[in-house]
Amino acid sequence: MASLKRSVDSDPFAANISSKVYVRSTKSGKVQKIVREVYLRQDIPCSSKLCQSCLKATPRDAAGRPIPFVLSEAPAGTSVFTQGHYLVPDTNAFLSAMDLFEQSSAFYDVVVLQIVLEELRNRSLPLYNRLVGLTQSEDKRFYVFFNEFRLETHVAREAGESVNDRNDRAVRKAVAWYGEHLARTKAKKIPAVVMLSNDRDNLRKAKQEGIHACSLAEYVKQLKDGDRLLDMIPETQDRDVIKEKRPNELLYPEYFTMSKMMTGVKSGLLHQGTFNVSPYNYLEGSIRVPAFPKSLIVPGRENINRAVDGDLVVVEVLPRDQWKEPSTKVIEEDAITRNENPDAEGGGDDAVSEKERKALQEEVRRTHSKTTEGHAQPTARVVGVIKRNWRQYVGHIDQSSVSKSAQQGRKQDTVFVIPMDKKIPKIRLRTRQVAELLGKRILVTIDAWDRGSRHPVGHFIRSLGELETKAAETEALLLEYDVQYRPFPKTVLDCLPKEGHDWKVPESLDDLGWRDREDLRHLLICSIDPIGCQDIDDALHCRPLPNGNLEVGVHIADVSHFVKPNNAMDTEASIRGTTVYLVDKRIDMLPMLLGTDLCSLKPYVERYAFSVLWELTPDADIVSMRFTKSVIKSREAFSYEQAQLRVDDASQQDELTSSIRALMALSRKLKQKRMDAGALSLSSPEVKVQMESETSDPIDVKTKQHLDTMSLVEEFMLLANISVARKIYEAFPQTAILRRHGAPPKTNFDELANQLRVKRGFELSIESSRALADSLDTCVDPKEPFFNTLIRILATRCMMAAEYFCSGTQAYPEFRHYGLASEIYTHFTSPIRRYADLVAHRQLAAAIEYEAVGPGVRSRGRLEAVCKNINIRHRNAQMAGRASVAYYVGQALRGKTTEEDGFIMKILSNGFVVLVPRFGIDSLIRLRDLAEPEPEATFDAENYVLTMSGSKELRLELFQKVRVRVMDQKDETSGKRGAKMEFVKAY
Amino acid sequence: MPLDTSAYSLALLRVDGRRWNELRRIHAQIRTQAAADGSSYLEMGHTKVMCVVTGPSEPGPRRGTTGGAAAGASKAAAEVAVSVVVAGFSSVDRKKRGRGDKRNLELQSTISNALAASLHTHLFPHSVIQVSLHVLSQDGSLLAALINAATLACVDAGIPMTDYVVACTAGSTSTYAAGDESADPLLDLNHQEEQELPGLTVATLGETDRVAVLVCESRVQVGRLEGMLAVGVDGCKQVREILDRVVREKGKRMVLEGTVVKGEGLEDMDLD
Ligand SMILES: [Zn+2]
Repeated sequence: MASLKRSVDSDPFAANISSKVYVRSTKSGKVQKIVREVYLRQDIPCSSKLCQSCLKATPRDAAGRPIPFVLSEAPAGTSVFTQGHYLVPDTNAFLSAMDLFEQSSAFYDVVVLQIVLEELRNRSLPLYNRLVGLTQSEDKRFYVFFNEFRLETHVAREAGESVNDRNDRAVRKAVAWYGEHLARTKAKKIPAVVMLSNDRDNLRKAKQEGIHACSLAEYVKQLKDGDRLLDMIPETQDRDVIKEKRPNELLYPEYFTMSKMMTGVKSGLLHQGTFNVSPYNYLEGSIRVPAFPKSLIVPGRENINRAVDGDLVVVEVLPRDQWKEPSTKVIEEDAITRNENPDAEGGGDDAVSEKERKALQEEVRRTHSKTTEGHAQPTARVVGVIKRNWRQYVGHIDQSSVSKSAQQGRKQDTVFVIPMDKKIPKIRLRTRQVAELLGKRILVTIDAWDRGSRHPVGHFIRSLGELETKAAETEALLLEYDVQYRPFPKTVLDCLPKEGHDWKVPESLDDLGWRDREDLRHLLICSIDPIGCQDIDDALHCRPLPNGNLEVGVHIADVSHFVKPNNAMDTEASIRGTTVYLVDKRIDMLPMLLGTDLCSLKPYVERYAFSVLWELTPDADIVSMRFTKSVIKSREAFSYEQAQLRVDDASQQDELTSSIRALMALSRKLKQKRMDAGALSLSSPEVKVQMESETSDPIDVKTKQHLDTMSLVEEFMLLANISVARKIYEAFPQTAILRRHGAPPKTNFDELANQLRVKRGFELSIESSRALADSLDTCVDPKEPFFNTLIRILATRCMMAAEYFCSGTQAYPEFRHYGLASEIYTHFTSPIRRYADLVAHRQLAAAIEYEAVGPGVRSRGRLEAVCKNINIRHRNAQMAGRASVAYYVGQALRGKTTEEDGFIMKILSNGFVVLVPRFGIDSLIRLRDLAEPEPEATFDAENYVLTMSGSKELRLELFQKVRVRVMDQKDETSGKRGAKMEFVKAY
Repeated sequence: MPLDTSAYSLALLRVDGRRWNELRRIHAQIRTQAAADGSSYLEMGHTKVMCVVTGPSEPGPRRGTTGGAAAGASKAAAEVAVSVVVAGFSSVDRKKRGRGDKRNLELQSTISNALAASLHTHLFPHSVIQVSLHVLSQDGSLLAALINAATLACVDAGIPMTDYVVACTAGSTSTYAAGDESADPLLDLNHQEEQELPGLTVATLGETDRVAVLVCESRVQVGRLEGMLAVGVDGCKQVREILDRVVREKGKRMVLEGTVVKGEGLEDMDLD
């Protein structure tokens, strides 16, 4: 019998084939072993322009084009490698200091090894993408060398060798090969090949093997602007500076091991959740876990145990006698730790400083002295962190933490950075450029927070510019909310139609673009949007039908015609998720050409659209509806104001105006129907910043006016969204992209309901959205028209956030949109500025069989990932928008002082929060700002009353109307300019 | 885990280190089982299959493994009955495929039709040529490997045929959605490439450009199809050369060992 076994020598390829074994675990916990073949070869070039032998054998693609060589023939030198050098970083170098490699002043001619790229991809996809971006940039000269495929540099894992050791060895081998290979070119000046690594062992072995190797710090010191770059090297990498700490110097309890936490969580003894810091008290956190209806409180530094807002942590519930009430006191970090010395870490200090202890003790005394046992809430301490949610933070250096000598010289100094986000603790930072960075907005990141350090340590990334300059503050805001604001890369722009602005709807109806498209150019369609709107997503029409009914059409920009699934533009849009609107700036989801021109349903030109057409009775009942791709020609683009004027002007009797009037009548009926079904009319203080047109400096703040034309558009958009949601759910029950709004948990309203009952005797019932809507309607103060709005604002804050989801992940009853009182809902009407709408467009197109069902429509896993991302983006965009308004409100107030009416919306034991409707801002007023010395105060928590005596006699209670002086103020510690309020009088 | 197929553009190298126009290592043996009428074993990279051919013979009592309709055995030409058994351990997820699995049935009938086009079945009326294929390991291009193994086993069984039926796969370096018209065509896809990229299987009749099988189950722009097909057909020619060498070497050895007498048909063979 012939053997199936292959004899090695009979196979001429055998020497060049290797196999690689990967082990991966699947979602279900199974372990899979994957064996991959690797073909080793000798025609992978070194890509140095010095190397003639590689140049001759350049590999070519199918069209016969050779790959260009990347590495310069005369690379830059450093103080040590004067002859010039190529860099070969290891994985850790990229992981810890990607920002360095993106510098324009250094880090050119870099060889990225395949093994490094692979490892990086497994460790961090965003960093991998950034690195791939670098390899594609022409001026940075980053070359990917496939060391694992080159015969001479391929390394087989030895018995007993760890994967990491093997990979390190592969890196060293590649460096050594490059060195020898370049030496053979016999060029006059042969560049040194330098390995960059922060792994000591790897560096040591490299030196033993006689290859050039540097740590990041060593290398950067050889560069001209080394000092500046040195700051960008993460703190923990700089191992020399971290002293070994003795156990008694450790400030925080040790974390549990991962396995101990996992067992604990499984058995129900420990709980896992996302850690949130209270907005008013940085020493108190809360965490929502499934086992408790109310959030667990995590009071004090020791219990918080190095958790930072947003981290996924595991907590242990404390015994009942240690339970506390949530704090009613304002405790701000900068006020308490202002004069801490950043150098004095450890040294026998406790995690909790003396002042903090005092602040906390008052709290405890209050809790103990009261007999209100029922108010104590389950309290917990953090025992471990599952996943850090650290990102890059915008902040500025705390002036008071800077030593005199550092301000002058270039000595390395340790300073505190105060993040803009008040929930993030101060970050300790070592830098040599204190003098330059003072008074600047800077971007930093947290590297570590170990038990011996009261504050987390981080490193400097870059400076955004002077504090309070428009550019720096805008960028800071975008960074804080993780908004992608870089210009669109070329790969994205390449996806745009080649005709550019000259693109037109094809004239010939036989053109491919007209396939299955209805010609609706004859309809009297118009759009109604805010003033100056350039990205017109939607347009409407209405015409009477012979049977007395009305035909209404909502026409939405046909963005999916231009953005094909999975190309570079689609990917970019899915990452951006939404267009972000700031007061003076718009960060588009799609390139301008599409957003403001080709897709935008501009008047007088023909555009592709996706239309929803209904036949409605005069009572706004739907008789029938259909969906079609179409070509339209908008007759006019109105602003809300213009449209309103036209409708109100009885002399205007043209067809277009009458159709708007008809729409208006229908929309009122639609709205009534929604309200009858229990839709909520919620409120958030919305203001508009008026800018001076020339300088775009803010001059005034106005509350947004509500016009009927706004409701008109809104009602029909809601109708379209609901209709589309039904259709795509019917077509794709598992994978329709929908939007839900969960009913708020009862406990969310506990406080507000109690406040209303105690203060005004109103009952808030929240059994259903209908009941809530009705009871909100009863909360009226006949003397104070704003009171109802105030309650609605507070109620809004008790709501859940609406979210996108994939229909297969929820049961049908969970689809419900609580706020709109609709069984099903999606977003369809703004595909230019929201990615979810674009997905809905594709799904609807597939549902009406306009185009084939793509993978984006089919794959549930992919849709879930998309939903997760756009939910985050959506929230960030909203917060960025609000922060932008707040910043400009501050700027508009600059140098002015006005007196305004406000309402007390929260009352604390040592302060109160006032909302000023005119500016849509709320601000804290502390008792110590009322008078000097701070007035004595008794706080009646049950009745929400604060009574002051001593230096000021005053009684304040919740919902009270007060007069305040609003002025702008630059907060010296946070560096933020914002509105500051001073109490004038109580009404 | 290694990089994915999108890394091709970085250095024109595929996930396993090949260039666009390179086949994987093909290793083949014939007459691996002396007792069978014809047998073969074939590896294309990590895709490993073996084949046993029985017949042409009188149809016995009906066995459950059939490619076409067993009842048709009384026709004027021999029936090519193909059975494919995929071993559970052949793929990473170790999923077992049942006998009636749709994919299996499809494979069986495709192979049956391809072989019938080249085998001179009309010489054996009222008989059955039973082709049993076993998949031992899967790493892409399964259909192509099965066709190649079946061809070798038929050669071994001495069934007259017009020419080798040789197959291989071809793909394209970027996905359908990327819409990249200038994407390089790829020869001989492995499993990862099959998962991520568009591809087709093509079989030709020997060295001719006559296509015996063309299966394309993924979406690809029609503009890219021509290049893919050209690369595939070219790959088939390379495969034929390799299979032919295997057959000739085996024949040479058998003559040297005296297993067979050097016959007239073997006159053109070099014996040293
Ligand atoms: Zn070279």
